Amino acid sequence: MANNIRILNKCIPWYPSSYLLPRISGLLQAREYSRPTSFPDYFQNPVFRKEDQAKLIESSELSKIAALPMKPPAVYETSSVYHDPLVNKLINHVMEMGKKQLARSLVEKSFENIKRAQIERYHLATTPEAKAKIELDPKKILHKAIENAKPLLQLQPIKRGGITYQVPGPITEKRSLFLAIKWLLEATYEKERTVHFPKQFAWELLDAANNTGKVVKRKQDLHRLCEANRAYAHYRWQ
Amino acid sequence: MYFNTIKMSHVIIKQLLPHTKSFCVKFRNPAVCNVFNYSTKVTTTSSENALENLTDWETLSRKKKISKAMKAYLERSQEHDEFMKRQQFEYNIGKRHLANMMGEDPETFTQKDVDRAIEYLFPSGIYDPAARPLMKPPEEVFPARKAAEFDEAGRPHHFLFYTGKPSYFKLMYDAAENIQQLYNFQDKIIRKKATADPNGSLNLSSSVWLTKDQLEQVLVETITDLEYNNFKLVMQRLVSLPHAYKVKEFIEKYRKPLASQKFALEIPKPSYDAEGRAFITTYECLRKKARGDVTVRAPGTGKITINGKDLTYFEDVQSREQVMFPLIFTEMQDRVDIECNIEGGGPSGQSGAIRWGIAWGLRSFVDADMIQKMHVAGLLTRDFRRRERKKPGQPGARKKPTWKKR
Amino acid sequence: MLSRSWRHLCRRYSQAVTFRTTENSPSQHNEKQEGLFYTMNPDLCKQLFGHGGFPKSFQLQTKTFTETAIMVRQPALDLMNCIRASDMDKPVIRYVLYGEKGTGKSLTIAHLLHYVHEEGYLIVHVPWVSEWLRRVPRHKEMSNSQTREGLVDLPLDAAAWLIHFKSQNQTLLKSGDLKISKDYVWSKRETTEAGAPLAALVEHGISRVKYACDVVDALVDELKILSTNKQCKTFVAIDGFNSFFYPLTRLNTPTKKKVKPEEVTLTNSFLKLTNNDWSNGAIVVTADQLAVPDDHQESYLPRYLLYKKGFEHLDPFVPIEVGRYNEKEFLCCAEYYRDRLWLRGPKEIETELKFTSACNPYRFMEQCAPL
Repeated sequence: MANNIRILNKCIPWYPSSYLLPRISGLLQAREYSRPTSFPDYFQNPVFRKEDQAKLIESSELSKIAALPMKPPAVYETSSVYHDPLVNKLINHVMEMGKKQLARSLVEKSFENIKRAQIERYHLATTPEAKAKIELDPKKILHKAIENAKPLLQLQPIKRGGITYQVPGPITEKRSLFLAIKWLLEATYEKERTVHFPKQFAWELLDAANNTGKVVKRKQDLHRLCEANRAYAHYRWQ
Repeated sequence: MYFNTIKMSHVIIKQLLPHTKSFCVKFRNPAVCNVFNYSTKVTTTSSENALENLTDWETLSRKKKISKAMKAYLERSQEHDEFMKRQQFEYNIGKRHLANMMGEDPETFTQKDVDRAIEYLFPSGIYDPAARPLMKPPEEVFPARKAAEFDEAGRPHHFLFYTGKPSYFKLMYDAAENIQQLYNFQDKIIRKKATADPNGSLNLSSSVWLTKDQLEQVLVETITDLEYNNFKLVMQRLVSLPHAYKVKEFIEKYRKPLASQKFALEIPKPSYDAEGRAFITTYECLRKKARGDVTVRAPGTGKITINGKDLTYFEDVQSREQVMFPLIFTEMQDRVDIECNIEGGGPSGQSGAIRWGIAWGLRSFVDADMIQKMHVAGLLTRDFRRRERKKPGQPGARKKPTWKKR
Repeated sequence: MLSRSWRHLCRRYSQAVTFRTTENSPSQHNEKQEGLFYTMNPDLCKQLFGHGGFPKSFQLQTKTFTETAIMVRQPALDLMNCIRASDMDKPVIRYVLYGEKGTGKSLTIAHLLHYVHEEGYLIVHVPWVSEWLRRVPRHKEMSNSQTREGLVDLPLDAAAWLIHFKSQNQTLLKSGDLKISKDYVWSKRETTEAGAPLAALVEHGISRVKYACDVVDALVDELKILSTNKQCKTFVAIDGFNSFFYPLTRLNTPTKKKVKPEEVTLTNSFLKLTNNDWSNGAIVVTADQLAVPDDHQESYLPRYLLYKKGFEHLDPFVPIEVGRYNEKEFLCCAEYYRDRLWLRGPKEIETELKFTSACNPYRFMEQCAPL
């Protein structure tokens, strides 16, 4: 009996019983630390927003995707109506040392400040047209502000003949979004000590949404520099 | 007749063989030797002796000496076969013994039962699951060996034997051939200006390429990383061609389907409690370090009880949102009651565990369409990610000490 | 002018008035208006709550919504009925409002104050006790009491409260019917004789801050006498009463010794007031978790918050729980927020918010903020 029991060093991954991943027979990639910390490549990203799912149903891809394993949605993502991926990204950028609750409360307070300021303006406006122009939804203001703050080109340092030229070049969507949020936050941090983050951030967002303020100026300066350095644009391909 | 042939052969041999000094030695045919042997020591061969000593090419080759390598290989393979037969025999007997020990029927003792029995009889505290006691059929345990690659003459069967990895290179060769064929097919279609079969399509979304280890097992050869990457490149190239469906079988051989429909099978039936309400309990709801169980009761009013407290058990909004996520997604928030007991972990872990538990329990109260939607939303996937350990020599799990250029 | 107010009225009426009621007088409020919002006159608000009375968040909301609207809820209605039905000759009944954080205790008191003001009571209202005992700016003005040994005075706070008292009871004090019964000698040159109007006492306290605490003490005595003599009806409202009984305050004597609440003169005055040895009035007190530090906030029940001393002091009392919103109230509140542009978005948000805020009024308001 004893010789029938083989004690071999063949790695068989151990997962909880109702686990859904296929069993990977053979030796695992990471030999020393056998527990993987993220989902393997073939797990698809989940689609949990109602609108996105409706779109999938229309294009009849839902059943195809349903056959694949899916990653679970993150802890801060819900299917509720008031969940916005841009707001989540912003909260992540505001967060320091992993304090998500604090970051979230700061962003929510700044939205509240925006809302109060806009409602005040709304009540001060007399004509219905003026009232209609005022945007009361803080998320829409955030979207507008980020749109106005996104640069369209970026300067890349390229070295030719010993001199580093700043060459204007294209920018990806992700990088431009990142730069917009970063500039907004940098502008907020240059504040007086007495003014709290939510208030300053609210002011910055309102300014950016109106195409005024520090952030938009910075973007316009960047564009001006790019325009000025147009002559070097061909260095990208030399 | 024979004499005639001998004379004939004698003549032929004389004509064919070059005049070398050693040509006498080449004559195996004793009759012919006798003819040329003028020494008196030659024994007189009678016709019977000659007949007996006559051979064709088969006997010639049979009497030829087998090379040492071939001999060794034959011995080894014989040994291995016997060994495997013995192991199989012992395994079967051992299985029956085990079944008897566990008090079950030896005839219907499956491998799963074997595993369970071993885990029960030999509880092991070893951390690595691969180091624990194991009992499997010998084919799984011992690595496969290749059959005879060359015949007794030492000639290899496979035309790519001398590459050292014949099966791998044959595979690459096949793939390249298929690509060429598809190119020709494409050219033909363009020339004829015909359209290909519109129904032919290749569905690759529910499968992945075999991993390196699996490929090694299939080919029974070791492969380097570079070779595996080349294999993947070639297959991707093959798949990217427009009429790849023509070589579907070839491609399917090297793709592994992903098993993912488990969420739709085995949906448990709700049990009924004293008041006649249907309820489902999901045990083992895990996330990070939180463990618990969730009971979903229907019909209900939307009451949520966590460890005896209301939803206010979670102070922060994010955790509450997570708990409500599956209910709002399936719009069952007013129709079911939830009771959960959770311990361990922090707010994120606990709310994640409850979220999974609710989604898993709601499967029994929701129609198949909604279950599919829940799966696409990722609510039904168990989150098995755990905290990555800190490695020695580094400050954290991934963080490395400051990089110094020199 | 008239047409504009008429138009306003028409507009309000035509706006499917499901969350508002036009009944602005609390004395007329009954179960029919439960869950509906009524607006308060801004001047009245300033008079009654100019120096406190509304929680800070609510004050901000009034500014944003450009109006002060309070929801008519069951606890307030119960209290009003009780007060109406109580016998004025018997000793005062004490009511204790309790509930979780943010369920509306302070606003219930505000509602009652409005009611009581209309009925013509004399109001004694302490907006938030912890303000005196726990809010310690860099330098808190404290002085050792002169009339009583070993006790600490809070002159500025007392003076501020006297101003508050004066503004709340403007009408009653101006009429000058209320007279003091005793002589009060403050110093060699300052006395307040018997027979002087109550207003004079209050004025003295405001102008001579040094004696403000003693004035408060004297005031308490006078009020008790006046009520028992049926010269006026008194309504006492104290918010955060349980911080009088928490073992420590945040105050330090100049010798860095921690001060206990019993050593503060103001505590003693109000404890005297809440004794039920006088009649012709009502006392409403809240026991609030926020009045004590975070470590001792385990439960919201009065037995826990009032400690043994407070419980014994207030015993017997009528406990009234202020709970969370029920369905109807929640929907009314959500509609009101939509009307005031505080909540926007599709209707599904309300179901979600109902759960994530667990129908707690304050949390609901908080969570609507960024939406």
